[in-house]
Amino acid sequence: MKQIVGVADMKVSSNIDDSIITYSLGSCIGLVIYDSVAKVGGVLHYMLPESSIDKEKAAGRPYMFADSGIPRLFKTAYNLGAAKQRMKVYVAGGAEILDQAGFFNIGKRNYMALKKIFFKNNVMIGKQDVGGNTNRTVRLEIGTGDIYVKTSGSKEVKI
Amino acid sequence: MTSLQTLMKEIKNLKPIPAVTNQLLAVVDNPDSSMEDIANVIQYDPAITASVLKICNAAYFGLRNPAESIKDAVNMLGTDQVIELVLLKSGAKALCGKQEGYGLENGDMWRYSVSSAVIAKQLASTFSLKNKNTIFTSALIKDIGKTILESRVSDSAEKIRGLVQNKGQSFREAEKKILGIDHAELGAIIAKTWNFSPRMIKIIRNHHLADEKMIKDKEVAIVYLSDCICMMMGQGVGSDGLSYRFKASAMKELGVSANDVSMIIAEFATNMKDVEELLQIV
Repeated sequence: MKQIVGVADMKVSSNIDDSIITYSLGSCIGLVIYDSVAKVGGVLHYMLPESSIDKEKAAGRPYMFADSGIPRLFKTAYNLGAAKQRMKVYVAGGAEILDQAGFFNIGKRNYMALKKIFFKNNVMIGKQDVGGNTNRTVRLEIGTGDIYVKTSGSKEVKI
Repeated sequence: MTSLQTLMKEIKNLKPIPAVTNQLLAVVDNPDSSMEDIANVIQYDPAITASVLKICNAAYFGLRNPAESIKDAVNMLGTDQVIELVLLKSGAKALCGKQEGYGLENGDMWRYSVSSAVIAKQLASTFSLKNKNTIFTSALIKDIGKTILESRVSDSAEKIRGLVQNKGQSFREAEKKILGIDHAELGAIIAKTWNFSPRMIKIIRNHHLADEKMIKDKEVAIVYLSDCICMMMGQGVGSDGLSYRFKASAMKELGVSANDVSMIIAEFATNMKDVEELLQIV
């Protein structure tokens, strides 16, 4: 079944018939994790780096932010039997508008927030398709762990 | 290069924005207008009146006395909401199709345009600008030029992509260089043909701030900022992606910080359900 991850949303599944997809990432990040032994995987679509800008929103919509969404993605997958050492990690998105420098570069800040959390927790990124000026859609097949990425106007490719 | 004459012919073939849009905009942003003035303008367009009543009665499903007039709808939904519905409905036909030259599937441009209009209106309120409905409509239809330019963009896709990927040009700059006109300029010509106000034509022409002097104009800067925010959020973005120029000077001019931009994004995402409802008006 197709599971759609909306904006500021997350889906985790252990159903081998599931395909988890998130559309149109822009500067947002699509984080995909997958454990091939447990056949558990998930996708998080977060929009902003830090929940400190609005604690109240973060409480209601934790998947909106990197720091409140990423730990929840991993924990939910662990609850379904996934193990950290087996986890394959893929990152997509974090695009930027031309000349979008400094603090205004939300795409880059989204990616840096993820790197910081991964560094602290010893998580390695397997593959990534990050930055640039393209809009991406990402899909994960739970049965196989295959990940596909599509940029607007082009065909979907398996990574 | 595309001759202006050929483009003008195609503009004439576009489904025009209903006349009620211009009449309504002339009334709503005038502080002296009453609710009756507004209702009087809307009810002259039976198709739009019918769809506003339909939405109103669906929102209040099971009413003993369903809305039968625009006045009823205004009483139930509030003036602001009814105006928004009418403006959206008038833009829907022109914007809801697919634009293959820009890699936009059915509904993509519509989603992008509505999101951008909602954010622009919210910003207009934050800055206490009195023309918030004009700003809303300008943001809604600012990409109308794409509906005509898309076949040419498709024919010259490789050349345009080459300039964007290898020469550091923005998508708009590449359109201008290869096709002789960009979608913002063409949008302004369409807006003029449809008798939109000079203010709206100016906003549409400058929504990518090709002329940097325009950052001094708050209405232009707000629609520009709402466009940047929508690009970042990615919803309904096509193959031109985020290949437009970000002008930090416009943020400075508006007094908007990076934190403010994040807050606007967070707020929009929190209210996404309301936007999903607006999208259904097609």
